[in-house]
Amino acid sequence: MERGSLNDIWNLAFAVVLASSWNLLGGFAGQVSIGYSAFIGIGAYTTALLALRGVAPYATVPLAAAAGALFSFIIGLPTFRLRGPYFTIATIGVSEAVRVFAAGVSFTGGSSGLRMPPGSFDFGRNYSTMVLLAVFTVALSAWIRERPLGRALSAIRQDIDAAEAVGVNATKYKLWIHALSAALVAAAGSLFAINFQYLSPGSVFDFRLSLTIVLMPIVGGIATVAGPVLGAVLFGYLQIKMLALPALRDSYLFLYGGLLIAVTLFEPKGLVGLLQRARRGVARWAQRPVTHAG
Amino acid sequence: MHDLFAVLVNSLLAAGLYATMSYGLAVIYGVMRIINLAHAGILMLGAYATFALYTRFGLDPFLSLFAVIPLFFGLGVLLYVSMVQRLPRSDAGPSIESLLLLFGVWLVLQNLAYAIWSGDTQSILTPYTMKSVSLWGVRVGVPTLAVFVVSGVSLIVLEIVLRRTYLGRAIRAVTQNRDAARMSGVNAGRISAVAFGIGTAFAAAAGSMLATLYAFTPDFGRSFLLKSFCIIVLAGMESVAGVAAGALVLALLENIVGAYTSIPTSFQDALSFTLLVVALVAFPQGLLGAFGRLAGSRRRFS
Repeated sequence: MERGSLNDIWNLAFAVVLASSWNLLGGFAGQVSIGYSAFIGIGAYTTALLALRGVAPYATVPLAAAAGALFSFIIGLPTFRLRGPYFTIATIGVSEAVRVFAAGVSFTGGSSGLRMPPGSFDFGRNYSTMVLLAVFTVALSAWIRERPLGRALSAIRQDIDAAEAVGVNATKYKLWIHALSAALVAAAGSLFAINFQYLSPGSVFDFRLSLTIVLMPIVGGIATVAGPVLGAVLFGYLQIKMLALPALRDSYLFLYGGLLIAVTLFEPKGLVGLLQRARRGVARWAQRPVTHAG
Repeated sequence: MHDLFAVLVNSLLAAGLYATMSYGLAVIYGVMRIINLAHAGILMLGAYATFALYTRFGLDPFLSLFAVIPLFFGLGVLLYVSMVQRLPRSDAGPSIESLLLLFGVWLVLQNLAYAIWSGDTQSILTPYTMKSVSLWGVRVGVPTLAVFVVSGVSLIVLEIVLRRTYLGRAIRAVTQNRDAARMSGVNAGRISAVAFGIGTAFAAAAGSMLATLYAFTPDFGRSFLLKSFCIIVLAGMESVAGVAAGALVLALLENIVGAYTSIPTSFQDALSFTLLVVALVAFPQGLLGAFGRLAGSRRRFS
């Protein structure tokens, strides 16, 4: 395969990891966080800082994941007391604060960012690790959904008070799924640093990135396993198409906003919901009574 | 202590604008329990509308408020009727769907601004933009003072409307208890539409005034949105007096930090965000709620 399409697949796998991981907390557990770019940044910066001190890049990935999980506890402990939209607003605030901090402090390279140490850049290895991570993340979500963990999260999403009343320790589950989700995203961030070799607060802590991470599972089908993947594919495809047409290049906000509006007003279950409706429609059509003589 | 006095005066002046800006968010939340993220987009559009009126017709930014306010009131009502009203209403508090819907609207508004005016930084320069006057010994810019006066007047008018008119009482009733208000004969749907219009109009007016003080791009509005959240969270999201108090607290904090520490202004945003998170977590009932409980009083919307 030529390099260009391998690149696209890397980007797609990256998107799938982000969308599916977000979905663990945002979809399964129903806690919408618009601050996930913070974890990408934490993963990327951990890897870059360690690599610059001589640690082998791929060895930093688990450490980056751990850093992500740790940070998720720091955010989660105070904010999980908040419900619904208040939690969401708090996550926006935290993520922006992290970005400002990273841009202002010098050991993170300030606003000009960091460059990975020159070394063995092996695209083949980068590509296969990212794809592996994507497959792992999707498989993990499918597995979680069938387990008691998945049911507990679903209960939390539907009615947190009722869930607590039947003995689900909501805070514990929220914290742990947040940590898992953050670890996966941080790992992806780490791979991002390894692949792109250069990171800056603008590139990894971008609010628009947080936004895209939220949109993919919502448009694809929140709280499902296929939804985030569909969403990632759609957005990947849209990105490529829009970048190719100069007229559309600056219209991505229309698209994102429009999709968000359309999904919330017309089909809250996203693409998965649309497909379900289509399937039901076909089934109904196939079962219609034969009215003509015969 | 002249420095401290200057800080106080500047904070007071800033608080007026902050209060106007936040009230737009507060009324929508109070009446409909909806968190209006499009508020940032409206602030931005209000600024651009004023800019357009100024560059094309030479209309003074403060005079243009007479056009901007009714226009955006209408826009707000339209937005409510066409989109927000269709959302499933949940009495269990604000829904995530409304948050996402209005987020989408904000994105669309941003793109609209990019398409019409491009991403270049714009600003409004009038003959009096650079002038300043001396207020009790503190040098204050003319636009800043004018903004404070306009904000003050609008908030006073607001108070009068809320206390003395049917509309005002209806709004307060729906804010306190929607069902009881409906049982008392208030058309909650219509009041909601009007409230959304008022909220949008206030946001646009604030944006208009902000345009006289700051340069702006379509991305403008995000940090003000977060400041507004901060303020209405401090204010308990339902009290008008609280909005003024919250605005003052934030303005004081910003000015004190700016004057007495060397933390750069870019960190100011991080400051607002941190305050927001702290306020959300520590004061779920808002500052007034916390003090009200301490004083033994239970009055929430006074």
